[in-house]
Amino acid sequence: MRIDIENSDEYFERVKKILGYFDILDKANIEGEEVPVQQVAIDELRDDKYVAFEDPLIQQLKNYRDSYVRAPKMN
Amino acid sequence: MSLGISAIEYINGIKNGTITAEEFVAKTIEHIKKVEPKLHAFISLNDNALEQARAIDKKVKAGQNVGAFYGMPISIKDNICIKGGKTTCASRMLENYTAPYDATVVSKLNAQDAVIIGKTNLDEFAMGVATEFSAFGPSKNPWDTEYVPGGSSGGSAVSVAGLESILSLGSDTGGSVRNPASFCSIVGLKPTYGLVSRYGLVSYANSIEQIGPMGRRVEDVALLLNHIAGKDPHDPTTIDNKNQDYLSGIDSGISGKKIGIIKEMSSGSGLDSTVASVFKNSISAFEKLGAKIEEVSLDMVEYTVATYYVLTTAEAGSNLSRYDNLRYGYDLDSEGYEFKSYISKARRNFGPEVTRRMILGGFVPSAGFAGKYLLKALKVKSKLKKQIEAAFSKCDFLISPTVPVLPFKFGEKIDDPLAMYLADINTVTANLTGVPAISVPYEVKNGLPVGIQIHANLLQEKQLLQAAYALQNTTKLPEVPL
Amino acid sequence: MIGLEIHCQLTKLESKLFCTCKANYRGFEPNTNICPVCMGMPGTLPRLNKKAVEKATMIAMALNCKTPQRLGFFRKNYFYPDLPKNFQITQLNLYGPTSIGEQGKVSIEGKEIRIRRIQIEEDPGRLIYEGVSERTAITLVDYNRAGTPLVEIVTEPDFDNPRQVRIFLNVLSDLLENLGVSDPTLEGAMRADANVSIEGGNRVEVKNIGSFHDLEKAIHFELTRQTSLKERGIEIAQETRHWDDKRKITISSRSKEEDEDYRYILEGDIPWVIMDETSLQGWKKNMPESISSKKERYVSKYRIPAQVADVLSSDKYYSDLFEQAHDESNAKEIANMITTDLMGLVDTREKREQSKLAPKHLSDLVLMMNSGKVTRSSAKNALQEIVKTGKSVSDIMSSIGLAKISDESELGKIIDDIISQESTAVQQAKENPQTINYLVGKVMQKTKGKADPTITLNLFKKKIGI
Repeated sequence: MRIDIENSDEYFERVKKILGYFDILDKANIEGEEVPVQQVAIDELRDDKYVAFEDPLIQQLKNYRDSYVRAPKMN
Repeated sequence: MSLGISAIEYINGIKNGTITAEEFVAKTIEHIKKVEPKLHAFISLNDNALEQARAIDKKVKAGQNVGAFYGMPISIKDNICIKGGKTTCASRMLENYTAPYDATVVSKLNAQDAVIIGKTNLDEFAMGVATEFSAFGPSKNPWDTEYVPGGSSGGSAVSVAGLESILSLGSDTGGSVRNPASFCSIVGLKPTYGLVSRYGLVSYANSIEQIGPMGRRVEDVALLLNHIAGKDPHDPTTIDNKNQDYLSGIDSGISGKKIGIIKEMSSGSGLDSTVASVFKNSISAFEKLGAKIEEVSLDMVEYTVATYYVLTTAEAGSNLSRYDNLRYGYDLDSEGYEFKSYISKARRNFGPEVTRRMILGGFVPSAGFAGKYLLKALKVKSKLKKQIEAAFSKCDFLISPTVPVLPFKFGEKIDDPLAMYLADINTVTANLTGVPAISVPYEVKNGLPVGIQIHANLLQEKQLLQAAYALQNTTKLPEVPL
Repeated sequence: MIGLEIHCQLTKLESKLFCTCKANYRGFEPNTNICPVCMGMPGTLPRLNKKAVEKATMIAMALNCKTPQRLGFFRKNYFYPDLPKNFQITQLNLYGPTSIGEQGKVSIEGKEIRIRRIQIEEDPGRLIYEGVSERTAITLVDYNRAGTPLVEIVTEPDFDNPRQVRIFLNVLSDLLENLGVSDPTLEGAMRADANVSIEGGNRVEVKNIGSFHDLEKAIHFELTRQTSLKERGIEIAQETRHWDDKRKITISSRSKEEDEDYRYILEGDIPWVIMDETSLQGWKKNMPESISSKKERYVSKYRIPAQVADVLSSDKYYSDLFEQAHDESNAKEIANMITTDLMGLVDTREKREQSKLAPKHLSDLVLMMNSGKVTRSSAKNALQEIVKTGKSVSDIMSSIGLAKISDESELGKIIDDIISQESTAVQQAKENPQTINYLVGKVMQKTKGKADPTITLNLFKKKIGI
């Protein structure tokens, strides 16, 4: 997915410079390290209950003929 | 009645009848109107603030139950949702976006009778250290308007320092509360990851950011924390804090506590000499308070800025991809566009720094590069956590200058993203490890504020605030030259 | 070689995977089963449904998968209008085994199908094309489905032919229904993509298949297409193809989509769930009895014929009825009644939903039959009435007179009539006593099945003197 940008060379140069800086990570001694994550017990998960959102949310969104969201054409 | 009173003084004033919420809010609004053209702390103001203050006064007079804030004006960073109000994230992308629900912190403040006075300015989607990346223009440092107020919660810091609100909520992903607190000479706390609900905080890098309280006094920040912390069913990453009271015993002192100076944050070529000398003074102050000082080394700190930017750009790339302008956003007719070209076009409304980070965010987790960047960054994060854990097994607190440099002038770093990123070196560690850290204003040198940063171990906010309070009591800061 | 990726909605849950909107979105007006969370509005956070974890674990256990110690979620990043956040929260084993199940197996007709992985994920919304063709149409989006809990089951490429695929899907569908997690007969509740390859050729992924019937056709088409390419010496490209529902062929998708890099990252908003042994054991204990175990029990305990037991056990509706209606004494008759008399009356979801039949009706009817108060054919008539009205068996007996005629004088009159009308048959019966059944049948016809067959037979024999 792209973002339209006008001065792409400037972006490219800056991004390249930053990526170059990221190379410092190659020097870090991180052998044996695991990916850190937060943990939670099963009991803390949400109970399966149906509660409808009180507002007709679609009316607060961009809507097409009241109830649909319109997307650009796909092909 | 001075607008510069502390939150505690305000509450006492209401309770003993020397001030009313209406008077105070009215005076605040008047003041805001006067200084905003110069400071630009706010993106939007609450039109109903006076009315709300009046209603609270009524409750006070009638002897009804009144919430803990008694109509105190509090400002909120504009990346936190208020139902029915605009939440712009200082982006053209969300210029007209109205949130359909209240953030948990907003519900909590409302329940405690705060008056949310306005939404404050920030770097677009909280990416930056100077508010220079706000789509609506920067905020100015009240100590010298030629200088940046820090960021990304610059508007919040300015509103507090400029007496436009008593307290403020910012958000801190890599220092965004502490950095502007330091630059504007106020107190800013980044709580333990999970202590404050992020529900309603527009995500930038969700795995490390927190909403943080800001105020002119440490005890004010403790008071605000009391009412926003705790488990929230809407945010699965929140932690039960057992309703801890951060205010009681805040004056307990730190005699006998062990304080570690983080070597990698307190020396080296990146450290400004003025900052270094102020930091030295603060160490003497800690010693006089009876703390034992030693030096500790966290060698992973060297890699934290790179790690921080790899992780945050990867998450930002994902978090911000929802802004495709289909369901909400600004007017841009999709007629004649194919889906992908429409989105590319719509996303031109992102500013330059967000665009840069989105480009990086598309790159670092991509197939073939994830191992080089993302995985390594995650492992540095893991090792850094272990190092800080080890440090806290020896020390109660870890300290450093909040920012290694003095506030800088507008435009000074905007064209050098790397120099800008390196200003984060002392603040990102708290985010990467999840521990709480606070910036305490310590000195104003040649008209420019310098803050001291104190870290504590996970969920040790109470002790952290005691240390900050003790340090605060050793300072004598000048009044802000408004 | 054929492999499958099957998506099953957990339609029996109350709420969506990460918010409290309705899991079964069917019947809602467009975009009325949505909230800030499933719409991915700025600042919202996912809240994982505990029951979804429990039910998905049961599926994994039923498919003999290993369950992980910790459950982890990831973001699959891609842009599509039906995806409110432009990423899908899903699972994979990027940093160790964290998806709800892996390395399972299912046996179908002696063939082992290996399950590679099972994952929990959110269903996207739905695109509706309004207009003449997809290319000229207006694209509309309905997000009611967005966030519906899905379980994706990925098999190894272990199927040899479309027939095995069909059998596997039937088995899986029965299994999901038996677990009470999903109603696979609901449209879109169970969907499958196929990976198809032939010896020496590249793997082709076939997507967009609307029904299992079409899946079989699509696989068949692919196998034929690939074989024909190979015979002509043309290389089979590794690609994604879409099933064209109208023309019943597969069409190459544009290569852009294949190159899609999903840039998987950790979903930091959902802490990894510790799958503690106590919970796992508890769920295992609460799992409904498996189809095969039910079948075995029906055969060994009640001496129900294997074929009947097969039909009974693989259909949750039937086996639930059976379980509630039967006891030691009547099991065989209840089973028979369900699989022969009831079956035609409740063979679709609509009929089942409308049916007023309760298990007690079955046990009452069988009791009546066993005590000789009602004949089998009357019972069948009564079932029709019960399904329609739900009246009790005794009410039906009195209101439409299904009680057996066992009064000898009443039957005698009817038999006398028949003897006078069917003189040829009577003569035949005298010569060949076997043919008397024809005459008994006539009595049954006349009494609408209410005549007691034993008494009728004995009376007949007496009257014509055999």
